[in-house]
Amino acid sequence: MTKHAILIDLTQCVGCHFCEAACQANKGLPADTQLVTLRFNEFTGEDDAFSQEMGRKQCMHCVKPACASACTVGALRKTADGPVVYDAAKCIGCRYCMYACPFQVPAFQWDRPMGLINKCDMCADRLAAGEQPACAAACPTGAILFGERDALLEEARQRIIKAPDRYVHYIYGEREAGGTSVLYLSDTPFAELGFPEVGYESLAHANEEVMHATPTVAAGMMLALTGVYWTVKRRNELMHRHPIDFEVEEAEHVAKNR
Amino acid sequence: MWQRIDKEIRTMPWGVWALAALMVFGLSVAFYRLFAGLGTTTNLNDGYPWGLWIGFDLFVVAFSGGAFTLAAIVYVLQMHEFHPAVRPTVLTGLVGYGSVLVILVMDLGRWDRFYHFILFPNINSALFEVSWCILLYTLVLISEFSPVVCQKFGWERLGCFMKKIALPLVIVGVTLSTLHQSSLGSLFVVMSERLHPLWYTPFIPVMFFVSSVAAGLAMVIGGATVSRWVFKRTLSRNLVAELGWFLPWVLGFYLIMKIGELLAAGELGLLAANNYYSLLFLAELAIGVVAPLILFSFAAVRRNRNWALFGAILVLLGVFINRFSVTWWALKPIDGYFYFPSWQEIAIQVGVLSGAVLVYTLVGRYLPLFEGTVDVARAERIAQRSPTPQPAGD
Ligand code: SF4
Repeated sequence: MTKHAILIDLTQCVGCHFCEAACQANKGLPADTQLVTLRFNEFTGEDDAFSQEMGRKQCMHCVKPACASACTVGALRKTADGPVVYDAAKCIGCRYCMYACPFQVPAFQWDRPMGLINKCDMCADRLAAGEQPACAAACPTGAILFGERDALLEEARQRIIKAPDRYVHYIYGEREAGGTSVLYLSDTPFAELGFPEVGYESLAHANEEVMHATPTVAAGMMLALTGVYWTVKRRNELMHRHPIDFEVEEAEHVAKNR
Repeated sequence: MWQRIDKEIRTMPWGVWALAALMVFGLSVAFYRLFAGLGTTTNLNDGYPWGLWIGFDLFVVAFSGGAFTLAAIVYVLQMHEFHPAVRPTVLTGLVGYGSVLVILVMDLGRWDRFYHFILFPNINSALFEVSWCILLYTLVLISEFSPVVCQKFGWERLGCFMKKIALPLVIVGVTLSTLHQSSLGSLFVVMSERLHPLWYTPFIPVMFFVSSVAAGLAMVIGGATVSRWVFKRTLSRNLVAELGWFLPWVLGFYLIMKIGELLAAGELGLLAANNYYSLLFLAELAIGVVAPLILFSFAAVRRNRNWALFGAILVLLGVFINRFSVTWWALKPIDGYFYFPSWQEIAIQVGVLSGAVLVYTLVGRYLPLFEGTVDVARAERIAQRSPTPQPAGD
């Protein structure tokens, strides 16, 4: 199976919001809910030249997603196909995924009595039908490319090499949080566009290292407690210190209160 | 029978009524919350999806840690002199965990699916482990407490059986506690991007565990003084003093771990920053660790009921600051998001805690909770009779 991914060349984004609209229409979302958000960043240059640069926020579809590692009930899952999918029928709305995500992507349906999580799933259903994600299909300038992750990375590198003046020499998502399946190219430093600076290791690793210690800790603890119990008991016997028998004591109490 | 109940209700102290009123109010708001949703009733938001409730859950579980600490001391280390403290402490744990369970359900977006953690396990999830441990450990606490109920109603067979299996229960209980006191800390292992580096460490589970032992002991020590006022029953001063003796060791270990972790991570410089975060961090250590560490090093403090209560409050305050730091105060802010609990959140929290205290008070009044403890009224009588007051009860 190919590892699908999305490459977004922000230099080609004109801010038409077609991707947002296509996403909402495809998912049948209410007007105020978006899984993809464009963000205008306004800059005033040295010569007072005013410019607008697009930032963008959607699920990054990490290669090793922390949210999936954290989710209490396994409602979030990385598929072999590339997307990180969400099972709304399992989710209990604990919102742990929102803290686990280094990009602060999962959003909660605060306005619903029975709230769940909103998150992009790379249109997994469309992918299964052999189509591209709705946003990629809707983009009029071709800023959103859909394809295989390795091929898209290569494409991004080629673009930077061919036009080194046009791009910052960085592919956001190549290594962020252990690598993501949504990749960005830009002409403005990513930090200035509001992209979070995250480490290169997936947060899932630390989490799983700690969690996988659980059985060892449990077994060790039981053994240690039993061991300590027998040692102390034996020591008390050797020192002729008889432990108080609480049942005898109890019996006395019962007799007394009759 | 009815006359008896009538009389009991008439003679109930006003404090009980106040607690009941708070509880009823809180639970009505809680009921409203269940059907109105989280957005309308809380100030939680996408930047702060967890707030007051999770903070209290962590804090309450921490001081409920007295139950497993004492169980380990009495049943595993077989220091039977501490036995009188077991029942009151197990009850503290039980009402503590009970209130945490209620609040956890409040906190779920889909509270109607609370049992999903049983159906759909994700073994990598710290919250999954926490849920299971809390569920199982609550069952253990119920079993550990059952002899008291059996004794009251004269179910001797069952009572004796529960006592027979006390040791395996305790071993399972202590193990479960170790696991989930620490896995509550593991919750934050995944949050390295959000939690300030002074608090963030992969060893946060161990720190949670150690501080829960301190908080648990402090709860027993402070509780002894409070129950002297409320129930006229208390633990002997010797017992309190001996429990207090453990505290400097636990707190010292915790302090070494906290500072050592910063040293190892090369983050000691952050402490000198003299900003909000460094002050918050130092406040926890100064109030909740260093001060009580010094206090409880003095035998005179350990043997004085009021000073012991004061020291215990400091420890609890420190753990309170710590738990609220990692869930709320020490999170890096996100642009455009701010959190302060809504009145509904506070009302529900206060209501549930009042309910917990109310249950404790009623159980203390009607069940044989204080066996083997000091009867303050009797001590006072002795003191009145003898020409030179004897320090029998106090
Ligand atoms: S809110 Fe839902 S998807 Fe997110 S961690 Fe909780 S159960 Fe999983």
